[in-house]
Amino acid sequence: MKRLLPKSLIGQLLALVAVTLLIAQAINIVLLYRGAQNQKIVEASVAAAGRITGEVERMSEPGFRERRLRRDGKRWIRRNRPSLTVQSAIGPSQRRLPAVEERAARAFANMGISVLAVQVAQVETLPANMTNSVIGRGGERRKTMRAVGYRNKPRPIDGYILMSAQIADGQWLNIASTIRDRNPRLVRTLLFQTAVIYLILLIPLIWLGRHISRPLKALTKGAEDFRPGAQEPIAESGPPDTRQLIAAFNEMNGRVGAMLDEKDVMLGAIGHDLRTPLAALRVRVESVEDEDERNRMIAGIDDMDRTLDDILSLARLGRSKEAAEPTDISALIETVADEFTDMGADVSFTRSGRITAPIRATLIRRALRNLISNAVNYGQSAAISVEKSGDKDGDKSGDKRGDKRGDKLVIHVDDQGPGLAEDQIEAMFEPFARAEISRNRATGGSGLGLTLARAIMRDHGGDVQLKNRAEGGLRASLILSAN
Amino acid sequence: MAGQTHILLVDDEASLREPLADYLTKQGFRVQQASDASQARSVMNAFQFDIILLDIMMPGEDGLSFCRHVREKTEIPVIFISAKGEELERIVGLELGADDYVTKPFSPRELVARIKVVLRRTSNGNGNGVKPGSGAIYQFSGWTLKTDQRSLIDSEGVMVPLSSGEYQMLLALLSRAGQVLNRDQLLDITQGREAHAFDRAVDNQISRLRRKIEADPKNPAIVKTVWGGGYVLAGDVQTL
Repeated sequence: MKRLLPKSLIGQLLALVAVTLLIAQAINIVLLYRGAQNQKIVEASVAAAGRITGEVERMSEPGFRERRLRRDGKRWIRRNRPSLTVQSAIGPSQRRLPAVEERAARAFANMGISVLAVQVAQVETLPANMTNSVIGRGGERRKTMRAVGYRNKPRPIDGYILMSAQIADGQWLNIASTIRDRNPRLVRTLLFQTAVIYLILLIPLIWLGRHISRPLKALTKGAEDFRPGAQEPIAESGPPDTRQLIAAFNEMNGRVGAMLDEKDVMLGAIGHDLRTPLAALRVRVESVEDEDERNRMIAGIDDMDRTLDDILSLARLGRSKEAAEPTDISALIETVADEFTDMGADVSFTRSGRITAPIRATLIRRALRNLISNAVNYGQSAAISVEKSGDKDGDKSGDKRGDKRGDKLVIHVDDQGPGLAEDQIEAMFEPFARAEISRNRATGGSGLGLTLARAIMRDHGGDVQLKNRAEGGLRASLILSAN
Repeated sequence: MAGQTHILLVDDEASLREPLADYLTKQGFRVQQASDASQARSVMNAFQFDIILLDIMMPGEDGLSFCRHVREKTEIPVIFISAKGEELERIVGLELGADDYVTKPFSPRELVARIKVVLRRTSNGNGNGVKPGSGAIYQFSGWTLKTDQRSLIDSEGVMVPLSSGEYQMLLALLSRAGQVLNRDQLLDITQGREAHAFDRAVDNQISRLRRKIEADPKNPAIVKTVWGGGYVLAGDVQTL
């Protein structure tokens, strides 16, 4: 059900209006139907009352032969005239219509006809004793209809009205009148009406929807591509409240930018204030006589420096002023791999031709360095390879940004280690997360390596993925979009 | 350089400046200290220096501005000591005409090595009149080396990352193009140290450099090996 709901503003607006309109029209239909229902009863009653009036008038005419009626013999009785009975033709079991009775009594009074009591009832089928006193049925009616040029098929009979009027003690005049459907196309008419109204409304609604949703879309895009400070303010358009929203967003953007600038200044100060004493310590360490002791201290200081560096880099990421430049990826990998081999680590790189991509080399170098360092520390060795893929390795990474051609550049770093438990893999990207084996910190590192690498790659519109290799060991992949 | 090398050390942090001055003195340098730019100016009037070690972040006039001042007046080489590790600040420093930089915390031994490299370069490497590392741009065999950014760019505008060792090696060869340099000389120029026996450092850097810039590294056309143990940069070099 939820899936059927339209997602856009215009869609929802149109659907809402359609539903509302339909409900309103449905209420209309019910009201009209009931009105019509009432109307046809009234119509039938008026005809019945007319007949009774006529009969009463005839009876009061001089020379009216009452006895003709008193005598037995149906053939004397003309059809479709009210019957005269001692008792009312309406029994207690029939459904009386008090409102109509009242109106009929008033009508009789207005016409100056003395009627003692009026009873009206609605029945589905004509009672047997009334078959000779019914209006609007059969040939008589058809004749009248033709006379007025009404050629359509007669409308179906929808029950009868029985009316009994007491004109004297023990004298009731009874007549039945057919109820006919007034307009069987009522529902169809109303649906048509609804459709017409809806179509007319559609044009301004679509206009309104676009008027509102276009600036909102721009705002959404602005929020998605949000890069504090480095962003053009979004043009203020649309209705006033949307304009206010956009203005507020632009202002917020400015505030965030200012806050980040402040943060940069603060980080710079922290970096300076921590590195200076560290540098002093580093110089002093040189005077330590014991070489082992000295080397341990140097390693400790280097470790602290790296951690500090990782933290500051992570905090500063996305604010890099370095511009992306087309760079020879193979040469970059070689440079980083050489750093490790110079320190005696087992790092190999199978060069596969010249590959270039626009990157911020300092950052990518750092991300790669972190992955290789993990591979060397936890997996004994690092084998680096590059894969240029259409979308073969697309997985379910669901990256929205690598859209255009989906061209990707993937740098794999494979190790010979034990790999990771599948449920641990995502957790490794959390800051300060460590695989269980390295919890004792003997292997060093800040615990920010993967976090930083992923942040760097995402900043480049790529990602970092970890995967256990089928042949053993872990594969860490830097994914870059090649355009 | 008569006798000791004279160093001016400018840093506002006494906690770093003093032990560093001690260390450098122990290494055989003569060191003068200054805690800010104005003090450095007055010391400079009183003494003749061979090299200046300069902190960037200082209260009052900062290191960048002081470096600019030094460049306008003298040819004394400058090495920046910076706490900011960001690439951009390094570039700014080098664009101002600094000769090198180290980032805090640095290894004092490395600092000494760099001092020696810079001194070597500025004292006897001035053959073609351009001071390496001060914004010079070299063009050779379709390649461009921008020393202010330490970036090597190929004929298609693609940046080829170099390690600092490779960069130093290339710069040494470029600034002495056509001149055959043996391993000892290259080691001296690039690292300010003498070769040990069986030292493969130079050959390593050269082969790495070749992998990056030669069309066919096995058959080099730019960095050529000279029979008898030396290397030379072949082809035309233009200095801008």
